[in-house]
Amino acid sequence: MTIEKNRNNEELIIAPKGRLDTVTAPSLEEELKASFDGVQKLVLDFKALEYISSAGLRVLLMAQKTMNKQGVMVIRNVNETIAEVFEITGFADMLTIE
Amino acid sequence: MKKKKKISQSFQKWLSVVIMIAFLVTTVCLWVIQTKLSENNAIKLLALNISDVREDIIDASDENLLKLTHEIAEELNQTNEVTSEFLEQLTAKYDVTEINRINPDGIIDASTYPDFLDYDMRSGAQSSEFLVLLSGDKEYVQSYQPVSYDDSISRKYGGVVLNNGGFVQVGYGSERFQKDIDEFVVGVTRNRHVGEGGSVIIVNEAWNIVSDRQGNEGKNLETVGVWIDRDKTPAGEVFIETVYGEPCYCMYQISEGYLVLAVMPTGEAALSRNVSVGVTTAMQILVFAALFALIFFLVRRLVVDNIYKVNESLSAISEGRLDTTVNVRSHEEFNALSDDINATVNTLKRYISEAEARIDAELAFAKAIQHSALPSVFPPYPNRKEFDIWAGMYTAKEVGGDFYDFYFVDEDTLAFLVADVSGKGIPAAMFMMTAKTFIKSFAESGMSVEEVLSHANEKLCEGNDANMFVTAWMGLLNTKTGVVSYANAGHNPPLVKHGDETFTYLKSRPGFVLAGMEGVRYRKNEIQLLPGDSIYLYTDGVTEATNIDNELYGEERLLHVMNQKANLSSQELCEAVKADVDAFVGEAPQFDDITMLCLNYFSPDEKGEKNKKVKELTVKATVENIDEITDFINEQLESMNCPMKVQMQIDVAVDEIFGNICHYAYPLREGEATVFVEMQEETQAVVMTFMDSGIPYNPLEKEEPDTTLSAEEREIGGLGIFIVKKTMDEISYRYENGKNILTVKKYMK
Repeated sequence: MTIEKNRNNEELIIAPKGRLDTVTAPSLEEELKASFDGVQKLVLDFKALEYISSAGLRVLLMAQKTMNKQGVMVIRNVNETIAEVFEITGFADMLTIE
Repeated sequence: MKKKKKISQSFQKWLSVVIMIAFLVTTVCLWVIQTKLSENNAIKLLALNISDVREDIIDASDENLLKLTHEIAEELNQTNEVTSEFLEQLTAKYDVTEINRINPDGIIDASTYPDFLDYDMRSGAQSSEFLVLLSGDKEYVQSYQPVSYDDSISRKYGGVVLNNGGFVQVGYGSERFQKDIDEFVVGVTRNRHVGEGGSVIIVNEAWNIVSDRQGNEGKNLETVGVWIDRDKTPAGEVFIETVYGEPCYCMYQISEGYLVLAVMPTGEAALSRNVSVGVTTAMQILVFAALFALIFFLVRRLVVDNIYKVNESLSAISEGRLDTTVNVRSHEEFNALSDDINATVNTLKRYISEAEARIDAELAFAKAIQHSALPSVFPPYPNRKEFDIWAGMYTAKEVGGDFYDFYFVDEDTLAFLVADVSGKGIPAAMFMMTAKTFIKSFAESGMSVEEVLSHANEKLCEGNDANMFVTAWMGLLNTKTGVVSYANAGHNPPLVKHGDETFTYLKSRPGFVLAGMEGVRYRKNEIQLLPGDSIYLYTDGVTEATNIDNELYGEERLLHVMNQKANLSSQELCEAVKADVDAFVGEAPQFDDITMLCLNYFSPDEKGEKNKKVKELTVKATVENIDEITDFINEQLESMNCPMKVQMQIDVAVDEIFGNICHYAYPLREGEATVFVEMQEETQAVVMTFMDSGIPYNPLEKEEPDTTLSAEEREIGGLGIFIVKKTMDEISYRYENGKNILTVKKYMK
């Protein structure tokens, strides 16, 4: 998995590419933790993400909790497989998906 | 049991006793009163007759004496000189006893008794009565009574006024006037009746009868049977004496020297009493009988009939028809009784339905436990290519005692069996679990098949107080040689197919049922299976399935459908049989469990030749190897043109399952995991089996996460397996031979 990152003042856009699973989730978590400072709007762009597993959900939950304190978090370009996982797990109601 | 009396009978009994007592009491009272009344009537009648006769006698004697006295007065009126001698001549002439002349001063101046001369009439009570003749009365007569000058003598006196002042008094004794009036007396009494049979008897002072109706004149009174002591029996009192040979009420009075005795037979008085009592009693009987009937029928109608109605409803309720209601509304009491009974039945119904619901829930739970005890993941051994096994149990509504089982007892020996416990319900289910456990533990200890059954039999016989038994057919397949050694404990013979031949029954002499009797030895038989051979085990739920016309499915139909579907996989064959049975049974309810097991034998040598659809990969259980596993699986999926979306879902599932094994199975992080992938072309499904030798852990038991919570409240645990459950089509777990085995199945369309 590769992570594309784009910072524009208080807005941070993160675009992971490939699979967000047990193996790759820790690196996204690391990347996010390092970038939270001063971010008021976090955009997760999933246009290049194939799928997400529970390890990835864990990271999203962590990110949502952090952003609840300092701003907003938005997820974009969710594919069918990922949308289904969000739906099943109730994350669809919890996250802001555009 | 002694038959109890009916209410109507008791009521009848007591009612008749009370009425009988009332009847007796009133009758006795009536008797006593009527006796008294009739006696009083008799007395009145006697007194009346006596007084009638007495008056007649007095009238007659008065008339007689006055006539004499007038004649004597006429004699005296014509004589100037009245001397005692003249008076004596007159007494002789008129046959009287005494003649006195009284001057106007009331003094006797002439008398037949010289002693009476100068007697002043005022000096005696009896004689002074005659003074009325000096004050205007012309005549006076006195009744027969004791005289003033000597009360031992009784006389009857008459007086008549004389022309030249004063009056003459004439007296005579009873015998004199009786001589004159006896005839009259006889006339008065002869035809007199006292009541019907009574009469009057006249007796003179000498106790001789003057007159009676029987012609006893002149005889002593004793002749008729009466003896009167006048001191003990005063006049006017009633006494009973036998007269003319018949007991009679008697009464007498004295009059003018006569004793007037009236008698009346007591029987006659009693007759009126008897008639009166008899008539009244007859009336009473009628009244009491009517009363009895009225009360009896009222009670019968108002109480007994209603009780019967209530009882009819109650017995319907007792027979289980709880929808019956009691509706006797004729009276307040029965209304309340009906309401109470209906309320009780309703409460009962509610309790029963609650209990039924609870029992149903428990039975469903028992059924679930029973099913979970049977291997239910197919294919069970994706890494074994030598055979294909499938089994199914379709339970009837109740939990039953059927079961199947299969397991490897060593590397190359597969044990498989089908069994049927006698009876149904929880007891059968519990016995089935016991039997299954014993058989498995003996089989796993390496015994031969007949030893397994023999030992299991001994164990099952111990403490089999419920007298249950099990039929079983058990085989041990050597997967290398294809030899099946089997033993039969009273079970249906299985069907066997060799190659392309048809299915036939595998007949062998069955041993006795398990748990039936201690010391039973079972016989081992062997059959050689060649690649392409099949064996099908079933319970009698298949052949004894019944349609609405009560026809049995039977062995012929089973053979027919089996041979039609002979070349299907084990699962397809079993499902085809089940479908055929269902079609046959139609709407009829399923009474018995239907259990079947089918085993297709392929080949020991040509591993993978015929069944190369199963691929496996064993790797070290570390996160780094997830990609290798995922790629391996994707490679298989691509061979079947798996849609991208399904592949993504499978990849997520593999990540979750394998990730779990890596994280939790081996605390020391040293261990392997194997994944089997089977592509099922006919069903367009993929079956993945993950196997590890780590800590026993069933991820399916993990509680499902609450997916409605907010980010702050969310726990991340359990989400992974939850996603797998939701996205895959079937998932199952078992722990076998020290291994966690998790199997998931996903249809590609």
